[in-house]
Amino acid sequence: MITVSHVTKRYGKVTANDDISFSVGDGRIAVLLGPNGAGKSTIIKCITGLLRFEGEITVDGFGNKTLDAKRRLGYVPEMPALYDLLTVSEHLEFIARAYELQNWEEDAGRLLERFELADKKDKLGKELSKGMQQKVSICCALLPKPRAIIFDEPMVGLDPHAIKELKEVFRELRDGGSSVLISTHMLDSVEDFWDTAHIMMNGRFAATKQNGDGGESLEELFFAITEGKAVEA
Amino acid sequence: MKSLGYLVVTQFKNQLRELLHRPSRLITAIFVVAMLAVVLFAGGQTPQAGEEMLPLSLLIGVVVAFYAVMFFMIARSGLNSGASFYTMADVSMLFPSPIPTRTILLYGLVRQLGTSVLLGFFLIFQYSWLHNLFGLELPGLIAILAGYAVTIFTAQITSMALYSVTAGDDRRRAAAKKLFAGAVVLALAGAGVPMALGSGGLLDRAAGAASSPFTLLIPCGGWLGQAVSTAMGGNPLLAAGGLLLAAAYIAAVLVLILRTDSDFYEDVLQATEVSHSAITAKKEGKMQDVVPKHVKVGKIGIGRGSGADAFYYKHKLENRRARIFLLDGMSLIMAVCLLFFGYLMKDAGVAVVFAFAAYLQFFTTITGRWIKELTLPYVYMVPQPAFRKLLAVCREQVRSMAAEAVLVMVLLGLLLGASPLVIAAMVAARIGYGLLYMAGNILVERVLGGMVNKILIFSLYFLILLLVAAPGIILGIVSGILLGTAAGLAATMVWNLLASAVIAFACRDILNCAELNNK
Repeated sequence: MITVSHVTKRYGKVTANDDISFSVGDGRIAVLLGPNGAGKSTIIKCITGLLRFEGEITVDGFGNKTLDAKRRLGYVPEMPALYDLLTVSEHLEFIARAYELQNWEEDAGRLLERFELADKKDKLGKELSKGMQQKVSICCALLPKPRAIIFDEPMVGLDPHAIKELKEVFRELRDGGSSVLISTHMLDSVEDFWDTAHIMMNGRFAATKQNGDGGESLEELFFAITEGKAVEA
Repeated sequence: MKSLGYLVVTQFKNQLRELLHRPSRLITAIFVVAMLAVVLFAGGQTPQAGEEMLPLSLLIGVVVAFYAVMFFMIARSGLNSGASFYTMADVSMLFPSPIPTRTILLYGLVRQLGTSVLLGFFLIFQYSWLHNLFGLELPGLIAILAGYAVTIFTAQITSMALYSVTAGDDRRRAAAKKLFAGAVVLALAGAGVPMALGSGGLLDRAAGAASSPFTLLIPCGGWLGQAVSTAMGGNPLLAAGGLLLAAAYIAAVLVLILRTDSDFYEDVLQATEVSHSAITAKKEGKMQDVVPKHVKVGKIGIGRGSGADAFYYKHKLENRRARIFLLDGMSLIMAVCLLFFGYLMKDAGVAVVFAFAAYLQFFTTITGRWIKELTLPYVYMVPQPAFRKLLAVCREQVRSMAAEAVLVMVLLGLLLGASPLVIAAMVAARIGYGLLYMAGNILVERVLGGMVNKILIFSLYFLILLLVAAPGIILGIVSGILLGTAAGLAATMVWNLLASAVIAFACRDILNCAELNNK
């Protein structure tokens, strides 16, 4: 479970996140929606411990900067972050070693097959296209089998097969009891599996909607908010 | 032409406006200008009477060599990816526009010349030691700066011409490579023949060679080096010859670019894309790795290390692929420079040469792999204690640093005729400074990691290090005077080691407190 309580993040005079609170329960998929500059990536980086912030964030009850939380948390960044001089398989080996995973080889092989990377396993990070890099980044995040996982714009640059596979992964993670948080611009890409949607504007949550609540669709709600009409959360 | 004028003026105006809206940038700009003024004013103070200086003709030789190396290094890129003075915005907005090709070329050339002048500003900061060592005056410095700008410009257009002529044609490319090699041989002959024919020691021969007409055989470096030499008491006839040759060469290259291929857009496209992706990567915090064009992958697998140690073994693997064996290219270049200056300054004694070496070391210590790690999320997210991760990511650099210290200081010590005890102290002191600079880096990341302005960070880093190193320097000088050079060096090492340990311990939690440094 990911819990965010009263988190504020400022860059000088600019408030990127303003007193944000929400949680993602076990076996739930939450999506963060919002226009560019709404503060989605900032809150994600706060949760993953990459930014300092005011407030409190826990993962399965552990403070997000503790080793217990780090062991449970996975992260797929918006821009794939690979090492130029490591091959695809070595990225997975590095993660396995750094996270001290046991018997990981089979899981790594399965992930590579699944994302059509098996034939690229000996390619260097610098030789991969952006889409391929994104797939490796996803495999690295999934290998330690995190209890909570955050995806920042995961679909950007992926081919249709990888998008289909990733959606399947989202469902499997949920069914396996993980907490999944996805930030995206592509409303239709999350339409068929989200549980909770948070729409962000100017660093705050402008609306939160539960799937199955009825009323307007996610898309209608999104445009109602981002195009300036007042909507009750 | 009007639209290009508008583009240049508007971009310049917006840059100024940006400066006013961002106080940190304004402060940085004022600081840089103030430093320039200080360097120009204080650096130009007359050396004490009776102080012996090296001949200015030797400086002309250094300038010729410097220009030539820069010229060949930049021009060579024309045989691979080419060079471009355009941005992706130019490519997408100007190239398809109904502006004549030649006008766009002129726009690129003018802008490139401006960039070249800016690039040369670092030379101004060398004024002080050039003035003290060679007695260089301000007009001479300005001439060197102007010559440098024209050298970079000439190298860029040469690169572009080489690429235009050889792109997509292997036969032409092979011929151009031979031509390029011929030019290098000519340059070596231009420097080597007068050296061989000269008399006296190495320095006398080098000084004599600098005023020989043979230097005009050195493409670009020799021509422009001689052209600026009048400001340093060089031969006016040689200067005129150099100027004429350079002007004729530049004109010929420009004609070649326009004649061979008036549609040069395709030729610059690839180079623009390459430089654009490098700039974008930098903006996105993806620090560019020093990666050879063709990486030999070799044995696959990290093979060793668990937990935080995985970072160290990963770094070893990356170094093997980058063909860095203990020392990287930059360290090797610095080592050669240091040995050269050690040779020039050997009469000044071990302490002075070591101080100069420690100054140069400052600029090479900020290139370790651990800095790149801070721009990626893994080091923050891996579930290992922060201090252990910090030590693991620094380990590779400490190893390289120690190897470099042994290699460089032993050679330098032998060159200076130092005793084995002093050489050992030099090695230890260099390792001490390396650790201090590294600890300073960590401290700056810890304290100023959230700051966006890299120039300001660098300036503060310099200031902080100066403050931390000052007691060690004082201790070293006092011990040196009282107990000898080896004791002085050992004293700085002890202080630097202590200071580094305290800083590292104080920053042990940096990976939990710092922010992903990718702005």
